[in-house]
Amino acid sequence: MFGGLREKLQAARSRLGSSIQTVITSPAADAEKTGASNTSAPAPEKQSVPPVTPEITVKPTIVDKFKVLLIERELIVSEKDVSDALSELEMTLLESDVALPVTDAIIAHVKKSLVGKHRKIGESVDSLVVGALRDALLDVLGSGFDLQAYIRSHPRPVKILFTGVNGTGKTTTVAKIGSYLKKQGFSVVIGAGDTYRAGAIEQIGVHAERLGIKIIQHPEGGDPSAVLFDTVQYATSHKIDVVLADTAGRFHNKANLMSQLDKIKRVMKPDLVVYVDEAVAGNDAVTRAAEFDKTVGADAVVLTKADMDSRGGAAISIAHTIGKPLMFIGTGQSYDDIAPFEPAGVVGELLGDA
Amino acid sequence: MLDGLSSSLKDALKKLAGKTVIDRAAVDELVKDLQRALISSDVNVKLVMELSKSVRTRSLEEEPPKGMTVREHVLRIVYQELVRLVWASTDVKLEPQTILMAGLQGSGKTTTTAKLARFFQKKGMKVGVICADTFRPGAFDQISTLCTKIHVPCYGNPQEKDALKITREGLAALKEQELIIVDTQGRHALEADLIREIIDLNLLTKATHRWLVIDAALGQMASEQARRFHEAINIDGVIITKMDGTAKGGGALSAVAETRSGIAFIGSGETIEDLERFDPDGFISRLLGMGDLKALMEKANEAIRPEDVNVDAMMKGKFTLRDMYKQLEALNKMGPLKQIMGMLPLGNMELPEGVYDVTSTKMVRYRIIMDSMTPGELDDPSLINSSRMQRIAHGAGASPDEVRELLKYYKMMQRTLKGLRGASGGKFNMQRLMKRFSGMQ
Ligand SMILES: Nc1nc2c(ncn2[C@@H]2O[C@H](COP(=O)(O)OP(=O)(O)OP(=O)(O)O)[C@@H](O)[C@H]2O)c(=O)[nH]1
Ligand SMILES: Nc1nc2c(ncn2[C@@H]2O[C@H](COP(=O)(O)OP(=O)(O)OP(=O)(O)O)[C@@H](O)[C@H]2O)c(=O)[nH]1
Ligand SMILES: [Mg+2]
Ligand SMILES: [Mg+2]
Repeated sequence: MFGGLREKLQAARSRLGSSIQTVITSPAADAEKTGASNTSAPAPEKQSVPPVTPEITVKPTIVDKFKVLLIERELIVSEKDVSDALSELEMTLLESDVALPVTDAIIAHVKKSLVGKHRKIGESVDSLVVGALRDALLDVLGSGFDLQAYIRSHPRPVKILFTGVNGTGKTTTVAKIGSYLKKQGFSVVIGAGDTYRAGAIEQIGVHAERLGIKIIQHPEGGDPSAVLFDTVQYATSHKIDVVLADTAGRFHNKANLMSQLDKIKRVMKPDLVVYVDEAVAGNDAVTRAAEFDKTVGADAVVLTKADMDSRGGAAISIAHTIGKPLMFIGTGQSYDDIAPFEPAGVVGELLGDA
Repeated sequence: MLDGLSSSLKDALKKLAGKTVIDRAAVDELVKDLQRALISSDVNVKLVMELSKSVRTRSLEEEPPKGMTVREHVLRIVYQELVRLVWASTDVKLEPQTILMAGLQGSGKTTTTAKLARFFQKKGMKVGVICADTFRPGAFDQISTLCTKIHVPCYGNPQEKDALKITREGLAALKEQELIIVDTQGRHALEADLIREIIDLNLLTKATHRWLVIDAALGQMASEQARRFHEAINIDGVIITKMDGTAKGGGALSAVAETRSGIAFIGSGETIEDLERFDPDGFISRLLGMGDLKALMEKANEAIRPEDVNVDAMMKGKFTLRDMYKQLEALNKMGPLKQIMGMLPLGNMELPEGVYDVTSTKMVRYRIIMDSMTPGELDDPSLINSSRMQRIAHGAGASPDEVRELLKYYKMMQRTLKGLRGASGGKFNMQRLMKRFSGMQ
């Protein structure tokens, strides 16, 4: 999914690399002018070739000079050296939908790990930059969430409540996760907790039927807490492993709808609250994730519609904002279009060295 | 943090306040804050860069119109550049037509279809809806439930998998209706088969309008998605949904720019009635993270905070020098006095020419002079005789003539206010007037 971001990051990365390389090579030029003899470290042959016979000698390449410096010098990076490249990186993140405040934080992090430090350069400059970026992104994305392991290690039924704003893909995700868990051998029951939106009960009903998963439904307009309470009762009495509770989409700035969600939570006592948002959301992803986390909590995040774009900055925005693990990525409208989120893999892919 | 951002834009604007010469650094700062505000509202980054570039160039190169402060000048340019993007309002005619709904999965097409049906129905048109979504489970239940609520015929068939076939049948079944809205399944730019399908649906329906429904929260990819839809079916209007949340709609704005269309409607809630016509001022204000356009256009209500202007005292005939100063300050923040007065509903009442002639430099002088008055003199300027005048002038490092000028201006303002009171039959309400004024579009 992150293909676009990857390309852009790679461009920014090589830009950063070259700007640091400039820093390193310029003192080499100085050293050459002044005779380069005051450093006691053994200089490689090419550097020690007397300048009288330049025509017949292969001129030292940038890489050669660079190698010398790797041995002889420490690298001190100044803010000025990297500021152009960092603002390019900043643009890249913004264009990838990483929200502005989150972008600011990442840039600050990368800058901090590059600027002002004395560094022995044992490896390539490239890996210095990549290292800083990787640290920043891993830091932001945290670790994933292993749902199967969670279910195995908790008393049944494991009750999972799905929340989020309108149209992000909650219902479809409930169906996908139901299918996924069923394939793993777990028994599942779905609670049709959206009793509000027209066609919602029918929608989740069709999914459940196609998947052969038991569903508990009340008529439209009923109390969602009541349906979900019944679902939990059903699971308990039938020794079902997992309860998947769908809810109506709602906006975080609507107090009555949020308190309804709070009531649902009190009544069904979920083990996990899963917040569902879409990968294509922009800066609002930060605001609403923060609000949902604050009012009803969120233990894990599912990001849907990753097939729509190749950027996925919302993953970074949300993870950074609420610090909760990303559990799954939705990649289409079929039941199999769901993949566990693996931060290290994603970061590796982003940075092009997976 | 968004508040912090918008306040930084406001701070940058403040720095331009009272300036009479264009300050390059201040403009640069403003442009930078403008960029941040727009980017955090999800306006396409490239679009933001183009836009801010022309704001900068124009601010520095164009001569501010006479009587306009630098700040107003820059704000006006910001506003103009933004309005230029959203300006084309989509023509909504009350005549027979077919509307094809298009958009990404979950953007709000079906809900908006019902809202539009209701909108045109209320305008007295005979409306019919076709459910061409053959994919999403419960799609037909959803739209037919909504249509039943408003007694609008809805054609569909959950068993049929061919959207074109349903649409063809639906057009025939609903031929008595004047206006047909075709709801389609969600799709995105990378789904070639579905893009093909909507091209075919467009050809089949010969749609009058092809409206792209966009979630207010859609981020940077909005432009790209819109471009693909535009290439496919020539989008001629954008509907922004879910504006009742906290998203700013910058993605939708970028889609409008991409399709060179306009914003037809705004969705502002989950119920059928929650549909609004597009209001550019409100939209731009939100985009910039500023309370409202009044603030943007510098004729802010905020400039006239009730606590700043003691309207009641003024109306009771008590109008002190202090009141006058606050008044001036507030009016000065709002823009050229003359322009504002010209907009007030005062009939053809003549205002003395001199009322308009207080520049911000002069206001600073007035402030200094007033600083060397006693509280008694400020409250009751008639106390100021010639010896007091000497003392005040001396204390302020001003000439007695300047003090006299200030007092003269004060008297003129006092008279003007009396005139205003007369003109409005004693019921003059400054705040209401200002509100009315700033609500003007
Ligand atoms: N392309 C794509 N579409 C998806 C994905 N997940 C869900 N959708 C589609 O997005 C639309 C909305 O999904 P729903 O599951 O109904 O969303 P919801 O959050 O339950 O919506 P409300 O209950 O109305 O708030 C449907 O058309 C889904 O098929 C995904 O990963 N990729
Ligand atoms: N709060 C709010 N919710 C809205 C608005 N417009 C649509 N919705 C909600 O957004 C969700 C998705 O709306 P739909 O109309 O089903 O979206 P769609 O584009 O038809 O979805 P697909 O057919 O699956 O592509 C539903 O929960 C709607 O109630 C709006 O303006 N405000
Ligand atoms: Mg749902
Ligand atoms: Mg729909």
